[in-house]
Amino acid sequence: MNTGLAIETEGLGKTYRTRWGGREITAVAGLSLQVPAGVKYGLLGANGAGKTTFVKMLLAAVRPTSGRALLFGREANEPESRRPVGYLPENHRFPTYFTGAGMLDFYGALSGMTAADRARRIPELLELLGLANWGDVRIKKYSKGMLQRLGLAQALMHRPQMLILDEPTDGVDPAGRRHIRDVLNLLTGTGVTVFLNSHLLSEVELFCDHVAILTQGRLALEGKMANLLAGRGYLLVARQVSDAVRKEVMALASGVRPLEDGVEFQIGSSEEVNRAIDRLRAGGALIQSVIPTTSSLEDVFIATTGLGRKAAEGEAHA
Amino acid sequence: MSTQPTTQEAPLAAQTAAIGNGGLDSSQWRVFLALVLDTVQEARARWLFWGLFGLSTLLILFFLFVLKIDLVAGAVAIAGMPVEASRKIFNMEKFVRNSYMFIAVFLYVWGTFLAIFASAGLMPAVLEPGRIGLLLSKPVTRPMLLVGRYAGNLLVVTLNHAYLVTAIYIIIGLKTDIWHATFLYAIPVTVFLFAVLLTVVVFIGVVSESAALSLMVTVALVFISMLLASRKIVVNLLSSEWSRDLWQALYWMLPKAWDLGGAMRSLILGEPANWLDPVWTSALFGVFVFGAALYMFQKKDY
Repeated sequence: MNTGLAIETEGLGKTYRTRWGGREITAVAGLSLQVPAGVKYGLLGANGAGKTTFVKMLLAAVRPTSGRALLFGREANEPESRRPVGYLPENHRFPTYFTGAGMLDFYGALSGMTAADRARRIPELLELLGLANWGDVRIKKYSKGMLQRLGLAQALMHRPQMLILDEPTDGVDPAGRRHIRDVLNLLTGTGVTVFLNSHLLSEVELFCDHVAILTQGRLALEGKMANLLAGRGYLLVARQVSDAVRKEVMALASGVRPLEDGVEFQIGSSEEVNRAIDRLRAGGALIQSVIPTTSSLEDVFIATTGLGRKAAEGEAHA
Repeated sequence: MSTQPTTQEAPLAAQTAAIGNGGLDSSQWRVFLALVLDTVQEARARWLFWGLFGLSTLLILFFLFVLKIDLVAGAVAIAGMPVEASRKIFNMEKFVRNSYMFIAVFLYVWGTFLAIFASAGLMPAVLEPGRIGLLLSKPVTRPMLLVGRYAGNLLVVTLNHAYLVTAIYIIIGLKTDIWHATFLYAIPVTVFLFAVLLTVVVFIGVVSESAALSLMVTVALVFISMLLASRKIVVNLLSSEWSRDLWQALYWMLPKAWDLGGAMRSLILGEPANWLDPVWTSALFGVFVFGAALYMFQKKDY
């Protein structure tokens, strides 16, 4: 049954046991996530947060110890559930005896494509990914960036409804990244869901419209990108602010910065902004601008994972 | 960009409708064929594969050389004598048949060991991180992946051994003008033993992901099975009942490289052969070990 969700997990968990039945290590702890079809979804987390294990459970490479996962409404452990999915793994090791075209042909065949369909599709994808002149070259001669693009072509071979990409721009130069991003944007325009697992926050911020952050195998934060980045507060700029008024408004602000011809206050909420404006106007100051400020994804990530605090504690101990 | 990717052209339901009706549909056969051909392609890309075929070719040339100087020249000289005299000295038919048998036994041992050496790395290679994950992400069952790999490996060895045995058969036949097709039993018997041993290579490969360990265990198993075959002598030397029972049990449980070779020898000589017991017990061992490999492969995380 297709529920309009590309990915749906309920209490999905994975606990590894060390050899000889010793210590238990929880990689993913009861993760419940819903990824609507057609969105650009980014999964973030620090190293060891459980992102790759989560993706591998979706693709049945890792068996969950609890919960369930569905792909387009089908149990993820059914091979057929993976038919509408294209996957580019992190640290892939494509067999080097393949040519670019040969590799696409092999993985296309594994996806059940006919020889005729593969023969039509391969030149299309090589062209799309900028590898048209490299199809007959053995892939051991490919650069890292070319391998990533070929890997993306492989994931696209059977015209999937969803792409699961694990660090797709890893090792790719800025022009290559843009090329990959353009291709992905082209795809999402046709309704393909993209599930992006990356530690490159800027890439995720540029591309994704939904994001989830994992910490220690748990879902720490999830939502639309626009909502997560909004709401850090407001920048209020005023002129002709007397010292007395300035001191009063500073009590409402989280930060203040003197400007050449005025003062900039950083204020957290709209209520406090209104109180500050009232006080400034009563004190004879001129309001120059009120600008809502947004966070960067990095701010959100650091705040959510507590990595900034841990780093500071580490420095203090040092 | 000249083309744009589109969403699934064929509806998913239509694609999946063909699956699950029992048996393999055309899509699954395509997957199986792709896996087999991929294994063959990987074998070709490895020096071991070319070593296997190169050594076979060298062996063929060697036999050609030996036959030209000794066997053929000598045999023809003897055969050229008056019939009555030559019959007393030499039975040409028996001589050639025995030659066929010795060569077949040599090829049986040669072919089996070389095939094991050439195959040991093929299973662990596909289980490398970054490669197996991508394979598992395709709409392919794990048993299909393993069976396809196994079949591809077996195909490579079958082609090589068929090439080797057939070429030598043709050389001997042309030189002696005596054609004993029973010599060709060397192909199915050797391939059968290898098929059984390959299950061990696969099992150890799945469990340990180590080519070296697969090789060690499989070669050791061949030697153990040969040792166990001398049970009639050894059992009399063992002092306790349980050790005799253990020896007998191991003999019946493990593949029978020695007995299969003996059966092949008898078949080539045209003698009655006890081939049924070694075949079915070895086959049972292979089925059991391959089943265990499938079970382990199903359970593993990658």
